[in-house]
Amino acid sequence: MDMDREARTPPHIDRRSLLRAMAASLALASAAGRRARADERALPYVNAPEFVVPGKPKWYATAVGFSGCAQPVLGKTYVGRPVKLEGNADHPLTGGATDVFMQAALLGLYDPARSQAPQLLGQAATWAAFDAAVAGRRLTLEARQGEGLRLLTGAVSSPTLLRQISDLLRRWPKARWHVSEPLSDANRQQAAQTVFGRRLDQLLRLDEANVVVSLDDDFLGAGPRQAPYAHRWSKRRLAWQQGQGASQLHVAESSLTTTGSMADHRLTVSPSRIGLLVAAIAQELGVGPAPAAPLAPTERTWTKQVMEALRASHGSSVVTVGAAHAPDVHAVALLINERLGAHGNTLTFIDPITSVPAPDDENSVAALAGDMNAGRVSTLVMLEVNPAYATPAGLAFRQALEKVEFTLHAGLYVDETARLSHWHVPLQHDLESWTDACSVDGTVCLTQPLIRPFYDVRSLHAVLDRWAGDTRSDHDLVRATWRHAWGSDFDDRWRDSLVRGFVADSAPTPVLPTIANRNVSIKAPTAGALMIDIRPDPTIWDGRFANNAWLQETPKPISKVTWGNVVVVSPRLAAERRISRGDELRLEANGRSITGAAWIAPGQDDKTLTVTLGYGADRTGPLPHGLGYDAFALCNDAGSWVLDGARLGTTGKHLVVASTQLHQEMDGFDFVRRVDRADRPVKKHPEAASFYPERKWDSPSWGMSVDLDLCIGCNACMVACMAENNVPVVGKELVEQGRQMHWLRVDHYFEGDANEPSSSFQPVPCMHCEQAPCEMGCPVNATVHSHDGLNLQVYNRCVGTRTCASYCPYKVRRFNWFENTGDDPEQLRAMRNPDVTVRSRGVMEKCTYCVQRISAARIASQIAGHPIRDGDVVTACQQACPTQAIVFGDVTDRASAVSRRKASPRDYSLLEEANTRPRTTYLARVRADRRPS
Amino acid sequence: MTDAAPTPGGYAAITGEIVDIALDYPDRRAWWACFGLALLLLLSFFVSVTVLFWYGVGVWGNNIPVAWGLAISNYIWFLGIGHAGTLISAMLLLLEQHWRNSLNRFAEAMTLFAVVCAGLYPLVHLGRPWLFYWIAPYPNTMTVWPQFKSPLTWDFFAVLTYLTVSILFWYIGIVPDVASARDRARKRRTQVFFGLAALGWRGSAHHWARWRQAYRLTAAIAVPLVVSVHSEVSLLFAAGPIPGWTSTVFPPYFVLGAAFSGFAVVSMIAIVLRHALGLQNLVTPRHLDLLAKLLLATGLMTAYGYWAEVFDTLYAGEHQEMGTLLDRLGGVYAWSYWGAVVANFVPLQLLWFRRVRVQPLLLFLISLSVTVGMWFERYMLLVTTLYRDYLVSSWREYHPSFWDWSLFAGMLGVFLTLFLLFVRFLPIISSFEVKEALFEEKGKKEQAHG
Amino acid sequence: MPQIFTASADTRLRTGMLLVALVFAGCLLFLGGFMDATYATLVGWVRDQPVPFSHAHHVGALGIDCRYCHTSVEVSAEAGLPPTHVCMTCHSEIWTGAPMLAPVRQSLATGTPIAWRRVARLPDYVYFNHSIHISRGVPCVTCHGRVDRMPLLARAEPFQMRWCLACHRDPASHLRPRDQVTRMDWSEWDRHPERHADFGRRMMARYHIEPAKLIDCSTCHR
Repeated sequence: MDMDREARTPPHIDRRSLLRAMAASLALASAAGRRARADERALPYVNAPEFVVPGKPKWYATAVGFSGCAQPVLGKTYVGRPVKLEGNADHPLTGGATDVFMQAALLGLYDPARSQAPQLLGQAATWAAFDAAVAGRRLTLEARQGEGLRLLTGAVSSPTLLRQISDLLRRWPKARWHVSEPLSDANRQQAAQTVFGRRLDQLLRLDEANVVVSLDDDFLGAGPRQAPYAHRWSKRRLAWQQGQGASQLHVAESSLTTTGSMADHRLTVSPSRIGLLVAAIAQELGVGPAPAAPLAPTERTWTKQVMEALRASHGSSVVTVGAAHAPDVHAVALLINERLGAHGNTLTFIDPITSVPAPDDENSVAALAGDMNAGRVSTLVMLEVNPAYATPAGLAFRQALEKVEFTLHAGLYVDETARLSHWHVPLQHDLESWTDACSVDGTVCLTQPLIRPFYDVRSLHAVLDRWAGDTRSDHDLVRATWRHAWGSDFDDRWRDSLVRGFVADSAPTPVLPTIANRNVSIKAPTAGALMIDIRPDPTIWDGRFANNAWLQETPKPISKVTWGNVVVVSPRLAAERRISRGDELRLEANGRSITGAAWIAPGQDDKTLTVTLGYGADRTGPLPHGLGYDAFALCNDAGSWVLDGARLGTTGKHLVVASTQLHQEMDGFDFVRRVDRADRPVKKHPEAASFYPERKWDSPSWGMSVDLDLCIGCNACMVACMAENNVPVVGKELVEQGRQMHWLRVDHYFEGDANEPSSSFQPVPCMHCEQAPCEMGCPVNATVHSHDGLNLQVYNRCVGTRTCASYCPYKVRRFNWFENTGDDPEQLRAMRNPDVTVRSRGVMEKCTYCVQRISAARIASQIAGHPIRDGDVVTACQQACPTQAIVFGDVTDRASAVSRRKASPRDYSLLEEANTRPRTTYLARVRADRRPS
Repeated sequence: MTDAAPTPGGYAAITGEIVDIALDYPDRRAWWACFGLALLLLLSFFVSVTVLFWYGVGVWGNNIPVAWGLAISNYIWFLGIGHAGTLISAMLLLLEQHWRNSLNRFAEAMTLFAVVCAGLYPLVHLGRPWLFYWIAPYPNTMTVWPQFKSPLTWDFFAVLTYLTVSILFWYIGIVPDVASARDRARKRRTQVFFGLAALGWRGSAHHWARWRQAYRLTAAIAVPLVVSVHSEVSLLFAAGPIPGWTSTVFPPYFVLGAAFSGFAVVSMIAIVLRHALGLQNLVTPRHLDLLAKLLLATGLMTAYGYWAEVFDTLYAGEHQEMGTLLDRLGGVYAWSYWGAVVANFVPLQLLWFRRVRVQPLLLFLISLSVTVGMWFERYMLLVTTLYRDYLVSSWREYHPSFWDWSLFAGMLGVFLTLFLLFVRFLPIISSFEVKEALFEEKGKKEQAHG
Repeated sequence: MPQIFTASADTRLRTGMLLVALVFAGCLLFLGGFMDATYATLVGWVRDQPVPFSHAHHVGALGIDCRYCHTSVEVSAEAGLPPTHVCMTCHSEIWTGAPMLAPVRQSLATGTPIAWRRVARLPDYVYFNHSIHISRGVPCVTCHGRVDRMPLLARAEPFQMRWCLACHRDPASHLRPRDQVTRMDWSEWDRHPERHADFGRRMMARYHIEPAKLIDCSTCHR
């Protein structure tokens, strides 16, 4: 296949033949330990692709999809193997910010558990047979104008896919397209419909907002908007730290979230009260009637402070409500924002990027289920969705499937739906296909393959094209879309867009809608005894990432639980019901019930049980089997994620919960320190004298600074580190035994009152102590100090005495208790970063400050004949961080970014009393409970 | 008064009494019973090590933060036990304490085998045991040497030196007795065996002179080791900047603890042997009395160590150190702390009474409790420190796995097997030294009378 | 009492013990020697290749520059092995029918790579970068030897850590003019070191080569 793919700088056309590249690259791949003889034979190319230099990485701009939106990334490839994804700094929205899903997409590509060939009724089949089946199907559909044909997709923003679908519907008017996206902005869009008379997407301009009031909206939490929102929020925060404007965050929520952790002023409140709080604010601003019920004292004081802040900052404040809340609440919020002068300033509107119909809409998945049961569906084509799992149990979609005579599932995995469908066909991963999609601000991202598919798979576009009776490739289809759109200057814009990774200035200009309808009001809350609050899972979302081992082993930001979900209960409720961590709880709501492990967390509303989606003991698939509970089983209809009148009981059983941090109270220590104002000095211990002679460090000498006031605990750095450094995944049992391998961990601490705790995150990589205890302890010189200030770990010298780990005050060292890498399948070996040694059994490992990147920069600069410039070395965690909380560089260079950070009065080092002189230091958080500045 | 009661048959009888045990073991059934048990435990050793080497250290309960576990605490425990032999033999030899002659031989043997067990632990606990020799300094193609600041490097030297010296001292000591065994042996096989072992010893004055030099010289070398070895081992902990470890009291604390546990084990062995082999007239109540006194003395010093540790912490009053102390007193592993304090201190107080000191059964039980108590102490020092160190975020408990325990049982098997073989085939008491002591005593008496 | 041993027993015992000691010492000596034996280091050992490619012919006789085939040596960590079509640029013209070259033609026809067996091979945990050595004037011959005299390629140096370190600890004497890195014959230079006495020193100063930093573990191990 001769595909034109655009590499970054310099742009050029790069013809490759993947299989040979794979052969070559596998031969060149570096893997220490048992497979030391793997590269015994050297396989050169037969015809070397132009511009591909063995041993030198190449970068391609592309994007990965997430709930219909594009997430722009740069892909690093070695002779045809993608080995790392990083943010695209040129992208107008994200500016290089990433999240866990972007980082983990790489493993999604190489996942050995992916579906690799078509299946008919569970038996292996061929594409030819599939094409024949489709052709046969088309005849009958052609005759009846597509009557009985239903298309089911997730949210779609891809212009090409939309074009294909609309073509199909035009051809067959009686066919219908349904959309199933469990977690979407449907309620917000509906509110816009009510207020403005048109569906609109809302975009928070957090970089403009001095005051943000979040009512149960975890906008800094996981989701398609996490990276851009975190990026924007951090811009404002940074500016405020320099003394410009303000950065205030008021949060009212039922369960502690990452957003709540960053809040300056937080209120723990039942989800049923959110409507009242919105109404109260509306009334204060005179845009709505009095709340349907009186506020509690705590709620009143919170609202009072919020109002002060809002009044003090007209035009630079915004109120946002969680997507799970009812449209009428959002509608009132829109009126509030209008009164605050937010519209067009801190809150912008664009025409919907993706559109997810409301449950009562005829294009909803609910409507589809109805039609299926009514026998109105003869052919069901499900593209990259898993309705058999990810739809409310109330729809009984599995049973409905049986009533359809022809069902087709196209997806990456043989999931629940695939097993219940007649046909399953495997799709290409985004990183091996041509497609296009919009990032949440509407900027069009072109997705180019980083590698040719290594399974017998097809792109979504190609599969759909078969139904149009055509056999074009994804490449042709995408090009066709844009050739039509751009006409004559197609070639230039195409190439330019591929190099950038997005179409320049393709973001729609925000609209400033006029308010058509002001009489919206909020229904009185049903005062239930106990509520169940269903949320997306912070690492596997609605279950679509359940097969991704990196994401499974990434701790949930607050609970630090891995490989499963838990039922969060408040300490008080736990005390009342005599519940302790890990007890199996039985939750019942409107006749449905689930059982899950209890997790007791401060900052949780006493009357709310928070559960997350994505897991389930009976889930099928290689990885997630038998983990957690399935929260979809509780939902009666697609609409509400908050269930009233819940009943809570214990089964008496105790469940294993694999958490990476068992103790989260700070116990009066000062690991995370706070200052009253950004320019106030942090409290420090006097530096103790040392027996070791002071060392003179000449440039470059590396160090890192982590701003705890910016860290939102999103874990992007953690996954980036796993990808960059070939960090192995160990699985639930070993995590539970305390044997996880993460080089970089993000600690989470609670302080203060259990109901209104202050909560903070602390990323902990290796401190690279100038006087490192580990170096003194190692008997074989396996961990030593380098001249550029690194605490090196030499795997091939390590004999595994584990003295270094015992002596390490920060416990950042990780040990290969078993052989973690030797039996990796070929796909995973192809994914490894060839610049980093793969560690074998019995060897200690830890954060190296990405020494491979330092070496690369050093060699490059030496060849170029200039010293390493500030910013030449960017560690994986630093690059991944959406809030620029991590800065790395030469500490001997006064002008370097890291030196400037460390010069801040907020700079302090962890455990000064241990007198290890860490190179990784922290900037103190700015105290939460300060008055508006 | 005499150390050993004069026996009717005179000196020859003493030799016979001791050497005949080796030549013609009295109660074979009992020995085989014990040896069978020992072999079972030995089997468990080989199985555990095989599993360990096949799957990796992961089969144990270790984790991060508790990267060291039973292996290291047992290593220290065994090495500690291994201290009594040299103390008794070498130090008391130089101090001319003749009563030691009834005890030194099997005390030395016990030392030897305990050190063997101690030495095995650090080897098997390595992540990549097949590369253990990297800890030794030797010319290599990497031109990389061991890291001499590390306590582990010095552990290597300490244990190796101690092992070598113990072997030398023990062997030199046993040569004359082996010779008499050779002379009394009837069977050709035993004659050759003892004959080779005796290195052609003929008991000439010349031999004796050389022997004395060698013996006292080795003793002189051995004595400082008693202090240095366990002081060095204590640095394994004391050098780590972890609350509960960084303490200057550790070296003396460890050495005394070592002697303490060692004497306990010696007493146990002495009591068992004299009972099993009817050596009441060689290992007399007086010996038990003296052993008990030593036990009491070292025990009180160890108790002082406990107290000093607590005092230091309270005196310094550092937040972290205090946390560790309180956790030791009342935390998850409080059982190990109080276990150590109670088992090492409370029963010991009975030894203030002579009646108890000369009462074999009681002394045996007290010694047993001390041995167990010292094991608690080593375990406590290791685990309570690691499982909760500086950052609360990395706190995690440690629970030894089945393979941890099976290896421990196996190590006891290694010890028992070796010791039983020693009891069965070698002179377990230094007969010529006992005789010498007797002779000198008699000489003194005659002078007194005449 | 009958004698157990004959009169010579002592002597025999002593000799026996002496022998044991000797054998032990011998083993140590053997191990030490074996490490440096060419059998262990593979120095001078020819490996049979799918095509008996002669560097002696191509480099020595024809004088083809190393970089003609090993194209990426100046820019990448890896020197790179020539793709089949590079071989065929000439061999589509000359020796087109040579049976010796059948594997090459077959590779081009079938598109399957020629499976060379590595000669200069380092362990996977060693990260050697060609480009930086070339750019600092370390000639190919320093590590790869006189390939222009090797009909069949063999390892020229023992790729032991000690050998790498020797140069990293004292690079001066190994540095050569950067524009002559692919030159094979430095015999004149080696015969008269005094003429180039300070060349290495000046190179070190000019390119800020600091041996102290060259022996950081991270220079080669990552």
